[in-house]
Amino acid sequence: MRHGGRPNLTTTLSLEAEVARLIVEALHLEVTAEEIDPEAPLFGEGLGLDSIDALEIALAVSRRYGFQLRSDDERNHRIFASLRALSAHIEKNRAS
Amino acid sequence: MAAFPLTSRAPGEVIFHRGVVPVTVARFLAEVAALAARLPGEGPVLNFCADRYLALVGFAAALSRGQTTLLSADRSPQRLADIARGHGARYALSDTGAALPVPVLSPEAAPGDAAPNPMVPAAMVAAIGFTSGSTGEPRPHAKPWGALVAGARGAAERFGVTAGMSILGTVPAQHMYGFETTVMMPLHGGGAGHAGVVFYPSDIAEALAGLPAPRLLVTTPLQMRALLGSEVALPPLAGVISATAPLGEEMAAEAEAAWGAPVREIYGATEAGSIASRRTLDGEAWEPYPGMRFEIDAEGASVSVPGLPAPVPLSDRLEWVGEGRFRLEGRLADMVKLAGKRASLAGLTRILTGIEGVEDGVFVAPDDLDVNPRARLAAAVVAPGMSAAAVVAALRAKVEPAFLPRPVVMLPALPRDAVGKVSRGAIVALAWKR
Repeated sequence: MRHGGRPNLTTTLSLEAEVARLIVEALHLEVTAEEIDPEAPLFGEGLGLDSIDALEIALAVSRRYGFQLRSDDERNHRIFASLRALSAHIEKNRAS
Repeated sequence: MAAFPLTSRAPGEVIFHRGVVPVTVARFLAEVAALAARLPGEGPVLNFCADRYLALVGFAAALSRGQTTLLSADRSPQRLADIARGHGARYALSDTGAALPVPVLSPEAAPGDAAPNPMVPAAMVAAIGFTSGSTGEPRPHAKPWGALVAGARGAAERFGVTAGMSILGTVPAQHMYGFETTVMMPLHGGGAGHAGVVFYPSDIAEALAGLPAPRLLVTTPLQMRALLGSEVALPPLAGVISATAPLGEEMAAEAEAAWGAPVREIYGATEAGSIASRRTLDGEAWEPYPGMRFEIDAEGASVSVPGLPAPVPLSDRLEWVGEGRFRLEGRLADMVKLAGKRASLAGLTRILTGIEGVEDGVFVAPDDLDVNPRARLAAAVVAPGMSAAAVVAALRAKVEPAFLPRPVVMLPALPRDAVGKVSRGAIVALAWKR
């Protein structure tokens, strides 16, 4: 549930868990949603995702949350920096 | 000695769009001359500019100085450093920072007073593209200027690219397919390129909307899938070109219906460049580009490309279907292609078993590799004391991300059949049981 304005901590944590599940399902990952370190990098060394995955995540996000990810260079690196960063970006931009 | 000018376009034509700014051929030539004057005296140059226009200006400036450009579709620091070291790069051109074993220059585009259109010998090696060798090392494929020019002219004719057409590419300028269609095409075929980097569906839609019609979208099956799935609206298109992986008939039909434009595919390889095309919905027959000579027999197929010194072996099995056209029978079993890059399963397996702590292992491809744009390879690994994550971490240093195995199945021993051969079927069943 949202309470207008800034999301409270509970909302953020539950959204984070939801996004983790979305990623694991969309990408058919080996790990479980609970095993994803919310602070670890999603790409490269951390979870080891690549550009094919980035497109998959963009597609899953647009379907579930009703908005499009974009590649404005630096901002995009921040958004995909970690599960926590991606979840915060979704919280800010979600249409549904 | 045969030679071609840097560009065959008229000075007043638009060759590129940078944001909302159209760049004419005259301005482009002035910017090339200004950059060429600043370049170090000797190449080759490793050009990994993300901005497509800067990639073009850098390539053209190097060419006008008689310097060869090294193109790497893989922009990972390690791969770039390997190429710079292994292939004699004297310096690099980039619009993003990177730590490399050679000096890195930023190719700002600013016009000088003169705008010459230099003649370049047809035999000069203008660019070198790279594929992964069997042990992961970059293997060079030289592109003489004459071959690149002939390819661009042939492609423009094949796809009806005219002077006023806008070309939006979603493939890096350094990938051979992206280089031919979005760098060489504006120089010698026609059309105007788009400078910005586009990747996600909304980027593509926005960039297309900012370009004047008629618009040509140059992309991949993976990005078409994302575009169609996310249902972003595109402005009217004159055509869509897809390459790097086979495009399913169903997706081609969906794309033609959604975008109201013919969807055509290019068949090619880094070694040979673009060599044939087809409209996906017209059937499975590929029409060779002008001047290509195919040799097809039971052993395999090769193609002689105008301007290349020797026939190029292909990693697919081909079959003639009449009227000078062929169809693809399938790939040679060992070769896999993912995200526009090719690798050998045997080569990947050699890299895997070379990892310290790995006693045995094998890479396998899923049955749907050729039809599922999201397919991944799997690996079965025998490495007592190592986790799957540790195996992947060790592979990451030597293998391009697209080929990293997903899943990794850790086993006490590889499953073998009655004659002692590793059983692919048993591994497939373990890897993709879910």
